[in-house]
Amino acid sequence: MNQHTFKRFEDELNLLKSKTVSMGGLVEKAVRRSMKALMNYDQKRATKVIERDRAINALEVEIDEMTRSLLALRQPAASDLRLVIATIKIVTDLERCGDLAEGIAEYALKVHEHPHAHMDSLEVLSDRVLQQVKSALDAFTYDDVNAALQTIENDKRINKQYKAIERENLTYMLEDPRYISSGMMVAAISKNLERIGDHAVNISEMVIYKVKGHDVRHVDHATAERLVSGELDAE
Amino acid sequence: MKTKKNKLTVRNLKLWYGESEALHGIDLDIVSGKVTSLIGPSGCGKSTFLRCFNRMNDRIPNCRVEGEVLLEGHDIYAPDVDVVQLRSHVGMVFQKPNPFPKSIYENIAYAPRIHGMVDDGDDMDELVETALKRASIWDEVKDKLQQPGTALSGGQQQRLCIARTIAVQPDVILMDEPCSALDPIATAKIEELMDELKEDYTIVIVTHNMQQAARASDYTAYFYLGDLIEYGETQKVFTTPRDQRTEDYITGRFG
Repeated sequence: MNQHTFKRFEDELNLLKSKTVSMGGLVEKAVRRSMKALMNYDQKRATKVIERDRAINALEVEIDEMTRSLLALRQPAASDLRLVIATIKIVTDLERCGDLAEGIAEYALKVHEHPHAHMDSLEVLSDRVLQQVKSALDAFTYDDVNAALQTIENDKRINKQYKAIERENLTYMLEDPRYISSGMMVAAISKNLERIGDHAVNISEMVIYKVKGHDVRHVDHATAERLVSGELDAE
Repeated sequence: MKTKKNKLTVRNLKLWYGESEALHGIDLDIVSGKVTSLIGPSGCGKSTFLRCFNRMNDRIPNCRVEGEVLLEGHDIYAPDVDVVQLRSHVGMVFQKPNPFPKSIYENIAYAPRIHGMVDDGDDMDELVETALKRASIWDEVKDKLQQPGTALSGGQQQRLCIARTIAVQPDVILMDEPCSALDPIATAKIEELMDELKEDYTIVIVTHNMQQAARASDYTAYFYLGDLIEYGETQKVFTTPRDQRTEDYITGRFG
């Protein structure tokens, strides 16, 4: 693509994108570290994650301000407009992911009260979710529609695994009522992870909107693929 | 499915100024009862194209046209076409407001009189009032109809010119950058007027102001170097253009 004739506009768009990417980087880190804190009963690390959520929130506010001024002052069109719109939505998803990671970190602060909690499957789930967040952010960084489509498709596996954890967790609680409070913690954490996965899907959908101009929310995967390939017209 | 009716149909239209080909075979349909904007950088052929619709290019020496321009199915370049008659069907509003150096009343009455549409008197008074009302300028001029049209402000003059155009009941109104000499308030009034007028008339507008094309038109055609690059619903063209050249132009990447 050609450069903007208005150099400063070009710079602003690039800055908007790079800020969003770095906010994504912070979120990815927060999720990874909150899980590490949880698995290692590491209260210090957990506290850091909670503190650093402020930086994520601050970036959200800053990026929102940038999008507002771009809309008001530059009246972006076409792909520039789609970048701005996608960013507004993506930033909200990222901020929510930050909050969910913070939630996990808060459980990490008191996980020592649940020494017998079964958390192995949480670790497996969080690896997958982190992979999803990473590939959604990569798709955004490189305008990679196929990666975005793949991320959306992969969410099905996460949902399946979340259900499996739910069932397993329920079995433990039925077996031994003393496990219920640990079981509720595991349920809450797995729910947070599953939701982070959903936000990765939202981000991927916005990547497709940004690159192709198609709104693939609330359509099935086959339709989304056909829209993206141009085989199907948006109408 | 809503059915679209085409007011104008253009097929393989080529135009030469002397030896140089300014339009390289344009195919385009202008939808009836809608506003279509023609955008593109200077020299891309959009004004030339607009002027084909009422044969204004006939006045330019060495200008030659090939291909078809159909107004409701009738070839406007057919030998038996009366150009004066054609221009009463396809009116034009120019970049610079150009009222006749006559009274406001006469500006409107002149064309209906020479076309023999109505006689002077009550009928003419009524026609003048209707045209001025339709162009949203009646309230501002009703007490000074005998004053010269040139005494009005730029925006009022432009609306007077629109009133003059619609006084002869055209099918199509062509506008060649009608707001480029106007302030934002006068511009907004013209755009609002276009929105009202499109119920009865088909409007084609050339504009360099892309925000105006986005705001005021239903369809947008992007011209570049004498070719029609892209045509589509304005909403589509400004959010997801198909062609990279359109994308570059409307986002401000002037290579």
